[in-house]
Amino acid sequence: MKFAGLILKSARRSKRRTALTVLSVAIAVFLFAALRAVLDGFDAVAEASSATRLVTIRSTSMIFNMPTSHGETIKSIPGVTDITWANWFGGIYKDPKNFFGQFGVDAESYLRMYPEIIVTPEVKRAFLEDRTGALVGEGLVKKFGWKVGDRVVIQPGIPLYGTQDYTFTIRGVYKSGGSNVDNQTFLFHWKYLDERSLQKGEVGWFVTQLADPGRAPQIIAAIDQKFANSPYETKTDTEKAFSASFASMLGNLNLLLGSVALAVVITTLFVAGNTMAMSVRERTTEIAVMRTLGYPARTIFLLVVGEGLMVAVAGGAVGALLARLVINAEYLGMAGGFIPQFGVNNWNVVVGLGLSALIGVLAAMIPATMAGRLKIVDALRRVA
Amino acid sequence: MALIELRDVTKSYRRDQNEIAVLSGVTISIPEGDFLALMGPSGSGKSTLLNLLAGIDRPTRGTVRVADTDIGALAERALAAWRARHIGFIFQLYNLIPVLTAFENVELPLLLTNLSKKQRRDHVMTALGIVGLTDREKHYPRQLSGGQEQRVAIARAIVTDPMLLLADEPTGDLDAKSAGEILTLLQQLNGEYRKTIVMVTHDPHAAERASHVLHLEKGTLVEQASLAR
Repeated sequence: MKFAGLILKSARRSKRRTALTVLSVAIAVFLFAALRAVLDGFDAVAEASSATRLVTIRSTSMIFNMPTSHGETIKSIPGVTDITWANWFGGIYKDPKNFFGQFGVDAESYLRMYPEIIVTPEVKRAFLEDRTGALVGEGLVKKFGWKVGDRVVIQPGIPLYGTQDYTFTIRGVYKSGGSNVDNQTFLFHWKYLDERSLQKGEVGWFVTQLADPGRAPQIIAAIDQKFANSPYETKTDTEKAFSASFASMLGNLNLLLGSVALAVVITTLFVAGNTMAMSVRERTTEIAVMRTLGYPARTIFLLVVGEGLMVAVAGGAVGALLARLVINAEYLGMAGGFIPQFGVNNWNVVVGLGLSALIGVLAAMIPATMAGRLKIVDALRRVA
Repeated sequence: MALIELRDVTKSYRRDQNEIAVLSGVTISIPEGDFLALMGPSGSGKSTLLNLLAGIDRPTRGTVRVADTDIGALAERALAAWRARHIGFIFQLYNLIPVLTAFENVELPLLLTNLSKKQRRDHVMTALGIVGLTDREKHYPRQLSGGQEQRVAIARAIVTDPMLLLADEPTGDLDAKSAGEILTLLQQLNGEYRKTIVMVTHDPHAAERASHVLHLEKGTLVEQASLAR
């Protein structure tokens, strides 16, 4: 502790340089925390997904539909207790920038199988009774200033669903009761969609409820087996695996974001290392004087490492604090969106601080070794 | 009784393929309580001799004994501890740490000891009192004159109460008045506090303040003079 003041004063020697180093580490930790928040958000969606629900899509791609008759076949498989279905609408509300998920769903079974979509009995009844009604997440209502009873016109985004605009009436607002359900989705009746569709009786995906999650592998195999060698082969997975694969459609996120984070950290390491080396080089005489006063090489080494550590952890704290404040769904207006749980958790703050400490120690290692090995006489002669 | 014993000390450096001798077979005995001035032209080996006495350099041949310790035989870590305990070093250019106050500069050697904060403060204030700068404890080196900076450097050298003070041209960067004050202070430390002092100087007036003068030329001792105070 008695050396803390000395380390602090050394770090404040060139305030601008120290501030820039602190800033560079802060940016690195901020980016690291932001990237971790994205990955954790996807993980949270997958983790919160039900283990008792299966999702069945066309084996070729999710963008191709399959006949509703598949539903009856799936329902007949032992172990399946319920089934629902939905279609991706992909419509445009006023401007393509106003992107949000729009699902045509079999309303009654969908709400039954997704208890995470929280609505009052009155809202549920009002939605079920109106063929052109819509049930929207509270995030969307907040975003567009909608209220119950409003008429919303959406232009179809997929040619299959015609060219004429669809007019919906908002019949209720739902709350999200789990991380796997966002609060920015627009649900409407599949029947309304099917009436206007160019190909009738087609479904985007089925969701199957299981009695026993332990039998999921057998039932998955049984479902896909039923449609093997048919014009509409299927691919079934648990909802969790489906969520994870949905995220992976964006590419290998772990690798991509991990590489970006690593590049940022390594660059910062070089920047901080160069700054520390410069700072130590400028203090050659002072280090030689301290050695003359009896400071052992090891103490000098630890003082330089301590300085690197102090500067880097200060940057880490700034970066982690900023990330904690800025990277959260509420602040960014993403609450309940595509990644419902988007934010920097305590663990990532701790990892960010640990990372900054590592940057500090590694960046100081070479300058500290140079300082520790300094030959006193040579150093004094160099400046005399 | 001799505090310092140099026996047949040789120091040479290698530069490319050539070996350059800086000191050749120097033998000196310096008694405890002495104030010795080392004189000689540039390159005569004065500073090298001082560095050997301080234990910041090692002889190529021969032995350097200070208070019965063969310092050439000590390992680096032990030598650093020995320096901290027994040596006070005064540089020509003061070499204070610019970001530390006068108090913190003087406290620097004490951070290596087990003294409490209060004990360290007492020691520092005593040392600053001896050099007459208690009122400047919070001043940074840039806020002090050259003479004051050198007095802070002297306080730093004596704060651990070492037996031996080594001064490398301590007045070389000062005006005549300040130089006179520094030499008076060194005489006081030698006379009142019984510190053994070895001072390298080019200045005959400075050398006159010492009790003995040794002349070095081309790395060998050429003359020895005793001065009456």
